[in-house]
Amino acid sequence: MTAELLVQVVVSGLLIGFVFALISVGLTLIFGVMDIVNFAHGEFLMLAMFAAFWLYALFGVDPVFSVLVCGPLLFTVGVLTHKILIRHILNAPMLAQIFCTFGLSVFLKSLAQFLWGPNFRSITEPLLGGRVEIFGVFFGLPQVAAALGAVLATGAVYLLIYRTELGRALQATSEDKETAALMGIDTEKMFTLAWGIGAACVGVAGALLSMFYYIYPEVGAVFALTSYVVVALGGFGSVTGALIGGLIIGLVQVVAGFITPAFKMVVVYLVYMGVILWRPQGLFGRW
Amino acid sequence: MVRRVSRREFNLGLAGLVGGLAVGCAQTGTPAPAVGQQPAQPTFPKEVKIGAIYPLTGPAASSGLDGRYGIELAVEIVNGKYDLNLPLAREEGLPNLGGAKITVVWADSQGSPEKGQAEAERLITQEKVVALTGAYHSSVTATASQVAERLGVPYVNFESSSPSLTERGFKWFFRTGPHDATFGKNLFDMLRDLERVKGIKVRTIGIVNENTLYGTDASKITKQYAQEYGYQVVVDIAYPANTSDVTSEVQRIKAANPDVLFQVSYTSDLILFIRTYKQLDYTPQMILGYGAGFVDPQYTKTLGKDADYAITRAAWSADITQKRPAAKVIADMFQQRFGQPMTENSARSFTGMLVLADAINRAKSLEAEAIRQALLATNIPGDQTVMPWQGVKFDEKTHQNIYAQGVNLQIIGGQYYTVWPFDLATREIVWPMPRWSQRQ
Amino acid sequence: MVRGRLLPAAGLGVLLVGLIFFPLVVTLPYPQHVMILIFLYAMMGLAWNIIGGYAGQVSLGDATYFGIGAYTTVILLRDLGLSPWVGMLVGAVNAVVVSVILGYPCFRVRGHYFAIATIALNEIVATIFTNWEYVGGAVGIYVPILPESFINLQFHRSKAPYYYIALGMLIGVILLNVWVGRSRLGYYFRAIRADQDAARSLGIDITRYKMIAYAMTAALTSLGGSFYSMYVLYIDPTSVFAFSISLLVVLVAVLGGVGTVAGPIIGSVILISLSEGTRVLLGGTGRALDVAIYGLLVMAISVLQPYGIVAWVRSLRRPRKPREVKVAGPAA
Repeated sequence: MTAELLVQVVVSGLLIGFVFALISVGLTLIFGVMDIVNFAHGEFLMLAMFAAFWLYALFGVDPVFSVLVCGPLLFTVGVLTHKILIRHILNAPMLAQIFCTFGLSVFLKSLAQFLWGPNFRSITEPLLGGRVEIFGVFFGLPQVAAALGAVLATGAVYLLIYRTELGRALQATSEDKETAALMGIDTEKMFTLAWGIGAACVGVAGALLSMFYYIYPEVGAVFALTSYVVVALGGFGSVTGALIGGLIIGLVQVVAGFITPAFKMVVVYLVYMGVILWRPQGLFGRW
Repeated sequence: MVRRVSRREFNLGLAGLVGGLAVGCAQTGTPAPAVGQQPAQPTFPKEVKIGAIYPLTGPAASSGLDGRYGIELAVEIVNGKYDLNLPLAREEGLPNLGGAKITVVWADSQGSPEKGQAEAERLITQEKVVALTGAYHSSVTATASQVAERLGVPYVNFESSSPSLTERGFKWFFRTGPHDATFGKNLFDMLRDLERVKGIKVRTIGIVNENTLYGTDASKITKQYAQEYGYQVVVDIAYPANTSDVTSEVQRIKAANPDVLFQVSYTSDLILFIRTYKQLDYTPQMILGYGAGFVDPQYTKTLGKDADYAITRAAWSADITQKRPAAKVIADMFQQRFGQPMTENSARSFTGMLVLADAINRAKSLEAEAIRQALLATNIPGDQTVMPWQGVKFDEKTHQNIYAQGVNLQIIGGQYYTVWPFDLATREIVWPMPRWSQRQ
Repeated sequence: MVRGRLLPAAGLGVLLVGLIFFPLVVTLPYPQHVMILIFLYAMMGLAWNIIGGYAGQVSLGDATYFGIGAYTTVILLRDLGLSPWVGMLVGAVNAVVVSVILGYPCFRVRGHYFAIATIALNEIVATIFTNWEYVGGAVGIYVPILPESFINLQFHRSKAPYYYIALGMLIGVILLNVWVGRSRLGYYFRAIRADQDAARSLGIDITRYKMIAYAMTAALTSLGGSFYSMYVLYIDPTSVFAFSISLLVVLVAVLGGVGTVAGPIIGSVILISLSEGTRVLLGGTGRALDVAIYGLLVMAISVLQPYGIVAWVRSLRRPRKPREVKVAGPAA
């Protein structure tokens, strides 16, 4: 393994890791505030990717700009999901909550297939196509752009949660709903916001991914499971955890893929097991 | 303390039971004729029902639909009157059965062997189809054809490529299309021909395959032939299908630097790989594909110029129209009817359906054994098909079409050109693949 | 006056008789197949009930044990010629061992971590089997076809024997569930489910009891896998370790009502009929309409009656009680 190869592998891992991080930030936010695991998270990603695709195919809008549309669009989807569906199962047993978001996932997947067919779509000529060369090592420009986008978005969410009044309210709600309500925080608004922002993260991630990844109804599953692992690794409810966790898993996946491609996901899952053994609440989890 | 069951409850229960029995008896009232022993029909049937099991939903749905379109077109040709040199085209319906029309009963396997099996049973026992076909996925074909074998119904497979399917010693299973061992041999024969005729020397090969039945089979076959033909395998990667990133796999291939790379991937992974090759500036002398992703129209549509120069085995190619006149008419009809080009998938299912219909016609009956005998006697010359085959004739023991073979196609300018066998080639092969920097 | 207890008992009796007569009356294999699927998933739903319903730990990866059962049975048959019944037993033992290996570290963490760990385990085991030559790798194994007999657990001329075996297994698991529910074991499970910390403070070794519950679930689920392998006669990693199996098992229990015995059975009847029905009626269009309806129904049920159908039925019964007494009076 030459130095050049090492750099290539590590940087590739970080690049995809940033995207994992962004997807996971959305998931961890929803869980943190509401104690609900969104099993339809992958499908939100898929919707965002399709949105980016149709914007490109019908209106020639490049994914770089679609980000500005997909974010708010998925924000709305998240808010609607809460208002129409999640609101009713807030106090249901965990199993029914799982059941609900799982049903949503199945429904969205098949709806996508019904509307757009099962074929793969791809954005053929993105503005940021091609590659960059740094010290003799090549990186795909779309991947670099996606990583940058993910960093910006994650940073924005981080600032929102830890540096604003609204963010503090969200934190308070996630820590203790009842007390937060007693303090005058509109918990219903917080929940809606959590879903909105969580989905928006995935909206941005989807638009970024569409620059280099192919789009089809089942694409959600590919990223969803990894994002659950990232969230668990980082600690449910911790944005910092999702970021660090995403990078770690991205690295692990790429390095493992180099050494033993057939088992690379096994290594990822074993890392997860190792972390929860050593530190059950995840790296930055609250409990 | 224990009260007797009230008369009302007792009556209710009894009524329920009796009702259930009555319904059941009604169902079994007219005994279904034991398959294979239907009495001779004095009058001709109005329709001939054939069952087709394909993945109509799920990840392989686009291939399933493609296969379905091929079958639907074949049924149109048989049921209608067309001036084409294809079996049963010139008459309406099946002439030996009084012009009876073919009806296909569709079932969705959802890619699952267990569902395919259940559907096979349902189609045979409830829909009363006289023959079965399907199911694209070799694993589903395996279980569905087991049912047919058990119930004594002809099963003709058009496109599943696992060699093991015709090695089970089944009486009722037939396959019209080529299998992976034939395809593998085609690629290696081409390498050998290239050395002999053009002096192109290849010493080392690499294999990268996705990790399901399809990829694993192809990988095994490649390794076998590599040994037989004297090539050294320097890198052999099996990756999990539908993965999110392949940079590390490509790094390994790059590091091992094989002369020629065998790629076994479905469409989605293939697109990811080619894009990653481009990003990491990797070009072997040639990429050799085992169909699947390479022959999916999505591939060229999505990658545009980047899809060029790869060579893939295929069961069919659009430029066969130059050697088989009926092929052009059919390919055009297909494009017009379904809005997408014919592929090797739909070409195989189209052809296979014609073969099956032809056999039923020659059997002059819907009786299973008669159809089976007719299938065994099949001998259709190549120019009465749209395939690059010598013809259709089933081996006595394995029931594999001995004339089924593939061709090797190279993609240039988004089009597929036959480049091997050299006598069927419509274009000179481009070797080696130009490096990424050299392509515009 | 004791009508409340006898009506269900008589009803159950009638149902049992009906089930026993069913394959003799309905001889078409497809309806029999649907019933067998219903029994199989009801059985696995009840198995899941032990860890999920009684002990309250959500496992989303039970296909792991289904596959272990299937593969153990087939390999023992293929290599040692052992009867699938033996394979079933050994498969259950394997499943228990794996469940302990997973359970021991994972039961120290809570809820969602465990759930995801079970999914991860599912994927790990599936990947291992996909890459393991000895068990056929991705190609899977064609189960050796044997002459039809009970010992061989293979029947070729009719599905009825499979039907009865599946029904028998289901009844066995039902009885086991009832027993667990009423035993001290079940009492400890429910204590853990209600409040883990309180249970611990009462001196209950919660890790040990969670592992017992999980082991039971694993063993019973693997029986389902063993049966499946002899029923479909072909196995491969994709079909026996499928995440969809894990999920369906959970859905069956949740829809019907976790922690109850009738729950998974009702859940299985509804979900399997739905899944088969929509596929047969609508599946041929290729546009996934059937799956979409399935998803919609699942969501609707979770929102409208999160505690499952059994809870819904119970809620209907209660207000009628005062009226019942009046009607019961003049009964014969």
